[in-house]
Formats: sequence, C-alpha cells, structure tokens
Amino acid sequence: MAGFWAAVSLANLAALFFGTFVGIVVGILPGLGPMVGMVVLLPISFSFSPQVALSLLLGVFCGGYFGGGIPAVLLRIPGVPSSMWTSFDGYPLTQRGEAQTALSATLLGSFGGGVISVVILIFLAPVLAHVASSFGPPEYFTVALFGVVLVVMASRNQLGRGIMLLGLGFWFATVGIDGSTLSQRFCFGTLSLQNGLDIVPICLGLFGIGQTLILVEQEIIKYSDIQLSRSTLDFSKLWKVMKYWKTLIRSGVVGTFVGLLPGTGSILASFLSYDVAKRLSKEPELFGKGTPEGCIASEAGNNAVPAGAMIPLLTLGIPGDAISAVLLGVFTINGIYPGPLLLIKEPVLINTLYFSLLFINVAAFAMTVIWLRPFAMIVKVPGRLLAVVIMVVSLVGIYAVNVRMFDVGVAIAMGALGYILLRMGWPIVNLIMGVVLGEIMENRLRQTLSLGDGSLWIIFQRPISLFLIILTVLIILVPLILDARKAKRSAV
Amino acid sequence: MTEKKMSSSGVHDLLGSILGVFALSMLIASPWQVDTSGPDPFYKGPLIYPLIVCSLILAGSLPSLWRLFKTGRNASWYLDGQGKPVKGLIILGLLILYPAGLLAVGLEFSTWLFLILALKFVKQDSVLKLTLIPIGVTFILYLVFKLFLDVWFPEPLVMGFFSE
Repeated sequence: MAGFWAAVSLANLAALFFGTFVGIVVGILPGLGPMVGMVVLLPISFSFSPQVALSLLLGVFCGGYFGGGIPAVLLRIPGVPSSMWTSFDGYPLTQRGEAQTALSATLLGSFGGGVISVVILIFLAPVLAHVASSFGPPEYFTVALFGVVLVVMASRNQLGRGIMLLGLGFWFATVGIDGSTLSQRFCFGTLSLQNGLDIVPICLGLFGIGQTLILVEQEIIKYSDIQLSRSTLDFSKLWKVMKYWKTLIRSGVVGTFVGLLPGTGSILASFLSYDVAKRLSKEPELFGKGTPEGCIASEAGNNAVPAGAMIPLLTLGIPGDAISAVLLGVFTINGIYPGPLLLIKEPVLINTLYFSLLFINVAAFAMTVIWLRPFAMIVKVPGRLLAVVIMVVSLVGIYAVNVRMFDVGVAIAMGALGYILLRMGWPIVNLIMGVVLGEIMENRLRQTLSLGDGSLWIIFQRPISLFLIILTVLIILVPLILDARKAKRSAV
Repeated sequence: MTEKKMSSSGVHDLLGSILGVFALSMLIASPWQVDTSGPDPFYKGPLIYPLIVCSLILAGSLPSLWRLFKTGRNASWYLDGQGKPVKGLIILGLLILYPAGLLAVGLEFSTWLFLILALKFVKQDSVLKLTLIPIGVTFILYLVFKLFLDVWFPEPLVMGFFSE
C-alpha cells in the first residue's frame, strides 16, 4: 500500500495532472507529440524525486495519445501519427453530425486501452522479471542485441541508414571517461568531453529542437470551425458506444503486446488493433465510412503502448522505443537501474508507477471529457509560435540540468542534426536507441567476453542466450527473404 | 515530389558518406584517442567497443560511399524536395547566438530578444504577440529557473563592463 500512498501524495498527483495536461496539449497539436513534451519537461523533472519525475513524464506520454485523437476526429488531422486510423472513422462521423459519438468512442478507447495495458503490465512484469532473474551478462547482451536488431529491422527499407545511426548513437555513448577502466575516450584533449555526452541534451536536441525547427518551416494551416454541439462530452453517447466492449478489450491486449516489442511503436499497435477489429466485426463494411468501433479499436491500440513498453523497460532494462528510452534515462540518472531485481529492490517505486499509470488514464479521461471544447480549440494555436517558445524553454532547461553551457552547445548541434535527419526521413529513433543502449551493450559485451576468457562462444553454450541469438538471426533473415521474394514477384 | 525523384537525391548518399568517413577517421584515430595504458587485456579494455562501433558505421555507409562514387556527378542535390531550409537556418542561427547572448546580457534580456527576433522571422509579428509572448515567457523562465529551481546563471558580461 506504500506505493498507493506515494501515488496519491500531493506532489505526485500535481506532477501527474500537470504532465497529463501538457501531454494532451502537445498531443492535440499536430507536429509536436508526446516526445517533444517529454524532452521539454525532462530538465525540470530532475529536480523531483524519481517517482514524481516519472509520473510527470508518463503523464505526457499517455496524455499525448489521448490528445492525438481529438483533432483526428474533429478535423481529420491526427495530432499524433498513430491516430491516423482514428480519423478514418472519426471524421466521417463528425461530418454526419455525430462528433460526440466519435469522440466518446475515441476517449473510451484511449481510457480502456490504457487501463487494460496497466493491468497486463502488473501481471506480466513479475513473470518476465522472474525469468530474467536467472540472466547473466550473455543473456542481457543478447536481449539488448535482440532489441536493437528489432529496431533496425523496423526500418529495414533504410537498413544502411538505420545501422549508421545506431552506430553513431553507440559512438556518442563511448565519448568521455570509460566507467570500468577510467580511461579517456574521444575527449580530443578537452575537459568538457570528459563527462561524456549526456543523454538529456542529445534527446532534447534531436527531438525538442529538431522537431520544432521543422515546425517553423511548415505553412500555417487555417482550420475550419470545430463542430461540437456542447463544450463537454455527452455521456449518453458514451453509454451508446459501450456496446463495443469486446473490441475495446481485444484492441487493448493487441496494443499492449505490440508495445512490448522493441521498435514496433504506436503506429503499428493502432493499425493492428484496427485491422483485427475490422476482421472480427459484425459490420466490417462500416469501417472507413464512420463507425465508433473503428475509433475505439485504433485508440485502445495506441494508448496501450505506453504501459506495454514499460514491461521490457522495467524487467530487462531494454526500452522499446525512443520515448521509453528517455524514461530509461530518467531511471539511470536517478541511480535506478531497471532490470529483474528492480521489482524486488524498489517495490514502492514500482507500485507507485503502476498506480500513477492508472491515475494518469483517469486524469486524462476526466480532463478531456470536461474540457473538450477548450482542448479542441488548442489546435488553432499557430505551430510556429509554439515552436519558438519551445526552443528557448528547451535551451534554458538543458542548461539548468548540469549548469553547463557545453550541454546547450550539444543540444543545438543535435538539434541541427535532428532537423537534417527528420527532413531527410532517416530513422532517428535508431540514434536515440544507440545512445541509450550503448553503455548497456558495451558493459554486457565486455562482461560476456570476460566470462568467456575473450571468446563469445559462451553465448552459444547457454540455452537462453542461444535461443535469443537464433531469434535475432530469424528476425534479420525472415523479413529480408520475404522482401526479396516480394520484389521478385512484383518484377515478374 | 515523387518517390523516384526523392530517391535520386545525392544528399542521402552524401550524408551517409560523411558518416562513413567520420567512422573511418575515428577508427584510425582510436589508438590515440582511447587511453589503453591500463593493465586490462584487450577484450576487457576500453578500445574494443569503439572499434566495433566505428566498423558498424563504416559497414552501414559502404553502399552510400559506393553510390556517391558511382553516380555522384549525375545526382541532383536537395534535402527533401520541400524547399530550401531558409527559416530553419535563420532560427538555428539565432539559437546559436542565444547562449552567447546568455553570457553577454543575461537570461532575461537574451530570452526577450531571441523571442522578438524569432517571432518576427516566423511571421508571428502582430503587436500583441510581439509584446505579450516575449515578456510572458521571459517572466515564466525567470520564475521557474531562477526563483523556483534556484539555478545559477553566469553574471552578464555587460554588467561587469558597467561596474568597472
């Protein structure tokens, strides 16, 4: 119960509500999204205790997916990319004058998906942690390898670019003093580089500044009038869409398990949930023409991802996507190292996290239900104006973390790199994964080599690591073979 | 911008090649840039991982290097076909000047000035926006970082000039 009391403490609730509010706002604004919201709040979060900081950032993470569905329904403009499927059915409903029904389905889907995924997290995390408790360095190394391979293969149409960015991320992680031998690496004779390249300015630069530089260049969109019959959600419509409860549960489960896999992300979760719902629906012909069932499926799928992504993060220390990579950064900066022992060593923190995730979903649902029209109006705020404000807040925030002007320079340099990579459509998530997993990969590799007296053969002698290596090889080969066959068939 | 035209831009291969050359130079410089004077055997030491990482980047960049070498002269050069990044570059320039401003004139004035200039460049320049937003954001930053979080900011150089 200590976790519950920590979750309902004033500081935690305030952080949770504020984070959720920010998340909904950045989720509604097209071009921003929860990642930008999280990295902007990241420097401020370091002045709080770990659980409060995590509640704040998880609030942005989950709130972002809640918010993303609102403009998708009202204007056919997804606030976050994964809400694209929501717009397929939400907007036609709005055009027919049923915006309240569409929004009821969207918000119910988000809420249900979020809660279902937290329940799965609570039950699945201890099981996975129990399995992982027998892991040694070879197993951890192969798990991390499996994770990065999944991430690289998720963007296999840009395989070379993905590998380069992952490698660059790994290289960034090597700069500074090596933790185990205290040797200098790539410091180029400068004192500033001895502390290494901190993950916070890198993330903030790549996403906070890079993304907002993109936003500065986008044309200002004039939105049409928002068609809402009342300023709050109509509860009678909420009851009406409750009849799709089976779709809700199914989509929540699909979204959680997709979120659990590294490199998959909310877009795939949303698409798969939508696709499964369409296949199993009694009225599949209505999908794409305006059915609340489609909105429920899509939103339950994408909002189940945050808790799903927490499962490998908490039990194995492997982040599933860029957002959970940032959360891993918050853990490690606070001296907490996620892994199987975390659930035993930090039960209060873990329970606080579970309760906070539940409360975040309740808070996000309540906020969007009550302040529906004010939130919908946010979409009209010019993106360029916000971009400029976010940039300056980010730079001051980044300076405040370590009180180092060097970090500001790193953030600007990363912002320029992020801007180029985003404009060119390179898989920037690989770079972040490389930075976050670099140290873990290196330590586990060196420990594995030490165990094997300089040989990696030990990986093939242990059943779990051997199984993971086989799985990794299959993940590389199967999609490549399938792609080659597909290309051959289309050439014929 | 068609898919075909997008893929024919040499910028992708150029960036890939730059990364490849960077990795190669780090690979060559590693023995000097990584302190290996410790007693650890090579497989426990600090050099093995950077070598693997640089090789990984180099391997990933080989197709780009090959394409650039083969078709570089005939390729067209554009970032993404969405126009020249003029606004982005101007704002980036202002961002680079911002830390210098922070050192020279302090948090409040540099933030206020950055916001006014940046808002002007991105054409959010109504009198109301140019007045309220810079003052409001500067005040919030001052409140959060200086008063609430008690973050130390360097004394503006200009203050030293006046106090002399």
